[in-house]
Amino acid sequence: MMKLAPKALLRISILAALALCLVLGDGLREGAGTASAQDVQVSGPLAGATSVKKLRLWRAMRLHVEPFFAFTIGDEYARSLIVGGEVRFHFVDWFGIGGWGGYSVGQLNMDLTERIQSTGATADPNRLDLPSRERYPDQIGRVDWWSGVEVHFMPFRGKLAMFQKVFFDADLDFFVGAAFVGVEERANTEIQRDTITTPQYCTPIGANTPQDPGCLQSQLARSKRTVVAPSFGVSFNAFFRDFLGIALRWRGIPFKYNTGGTDNNNDGQIDSNDRLKQFNNMFTVGLIFVLPPKIKTTD
Amino acid sequence: MAALLTAFPTAVQAQMEFSLDEVDEEDAEPAKDSESQGDLIEELAAGDDDESGPAEPAPQREEIAEEIYAVQQIYALRLKRLEIAPSASFTLNDPYLKHYGLGLALNYWFTNVLSVGLNFIWYDWGTNPFERNTSFVPRIQDQFRLSVPINDWQFGLWVNFTYVPFYGKFKVRKKIFQWDAYLIGGVGLMRTEPIPVFDPAVRSFDWQTNVAFNVGAGLRIFLTRYLTFFTEFRAYMWPDQFENTQVAPGAARNDSSTWLQSGSSFVANTSIQVGFTLFLPIKFEYRLPK
Repeated sequence: MMKLAPKALLRISILAALALCLVLGDGLREGAGTASAQDVQVSGPLAGATSVKKLRLWRAMRLHVEPFFAFTIGDEYARSLIVGGEVRFHFVDWFGIGGWGGYSVGQLNMDLTERIQSTGATADPNRLDLPSRERYPDQIGRVDWWSGVEVHFMPFRGKLAMFQKVFFDADLDFFVGAAFVGVEERANTEIQRDTITTPQYCTPIGANTPQDPGCLQSQLARSKRTVVAPSFGVSFNAFFRDFLGIALRWRGIPFKYNTGGTDNNNDGQIDSNDRLKQFNNMFTVGLIFVLPPKIKTTD
Repeated sequence: MAALLTAFPTAVQAQMEFSLDEVDEEDAEPAKDSESQGDLIEELAAGDDDESGPAEPAPQREEIAEEIYAVQQIYALRLKRLEIAPSASFTLNDPYLKHYGLGLALNYWFTNVLSVGLNFIWYDWGTNPFERNTSFVPRIQDQFRLSVPINDWQFGLWVNFTYVPFYGKFKVRKKIFQWDAYLIGGVGLMRTEPIPVFDPAVRSFDWQTNVAFNVGAGLRIFLTRYLTFFTEFRAYMWPDQFENTQVAPGAARNDSSTWLQSGSSFVANTSIQVGFTLFLPIKFEYRLPK
């Protein structure tokens, strides 16, 4: 097995990146002189002609209403199943603004959660992290609801043919905005482990009572908060009727929360310092209804 | 999508024009009608099939009402060209271990929309696997007294088919760029190695070769007629053998036949790949229909 020191690997990566830039720069410079884009290639009757005739304006000054189903991906402990809707208004065919919202209608525990539930072990050093393995799914952080506002750009569009028989228009929608997310996490608590002879118990942070032997009650206690986070993504849209289409969307919403309900900084407390960066992302399937239903076309 | 297509068989005819073969249906109808209007060239061409003898001279058309659109050629043909595609990749859905790869693909386009090729991706950079991700694996060991069997990757080698069902163009200021979207899939092998977690003092493993499959979809933007930028989503799947979570008692602990799990687990990993494509030969010629 080839072994490279991290510094050597970094040098190789930098050299490779530089070489790639040189190659690409040379290729692009050469291309700019001959064929950097298509307009310089167009001659004869097409010179100066518009790039597209009778273009269907799927979005310009139209409202898109989209009910969707989504599920999160890349989760450590549980996957969210989301039902929601999205509304967008497009000022021109390539730009729009809209909002979306969804509610988590179900959770699917991941393989790791089931492993913890079946074979995790509790001892004094990890009692705060895992008071009871059987109830572990109840301490996992979850997202109850999702919403956001976003601006949408559609620079790519074209048409799609299936078997040279069925044609429909398609485009790619890039969007960025802000998300508002309802997070539910394990409530703040603190473990008292002053002496090894006294059974460990949890209390609210900074208090001595009430005592929760074995932290079993604290495992089930929940707290809720709203998180504001950036959101971005891309969507593939295909339109089958003047008023109907389908959207396949990926959306990323990175924010911090305590996914495992554990004492991640190992300070004997479950609190905001235990929140870890998570690249939350989801895949969405939606049905697009376009209003008004009548479509316009260019000349 | 297939269900929707079935539900809406009269899907609209899109109106953007890209190639010589694509003519708007509504505009094409007058051309068909011209047959009954006595087009001279068509009559000459059809003369051999006419068994009824000399026909009456067809009335001359007084006015040509046809509107002919000149259609742009496809910007870059892929037909009979070799595609060289270096790329970088990273995995998406493995919470235990990140995998970073550098790859090279060679594809030969035997039609303008279909290619076959080889794809090689190297993942083993000699670093400690646990330094590549996170503290996640040691964290779950501390917090749950739980170990999870994990495998490292060395490389993947695939024979892939690529199909381009979608293509289009977009405009940035006064420049028009072509794009296409493609589906990719194939079969190959994946070299993996269990990382000793449950009994690292005794166990050590070698790389093992697994038959693997991959499917994906990508987007390619033509910067020139021979250079493109692409990004693609891939799912790699294979049956993998992981470290045995049980440590055999006594002398059997040193028996290497007990170190691996008896069965295989199906692994599905997704990744994002980003790279550039160079089409060779750089120049190509159109063969126009006569």
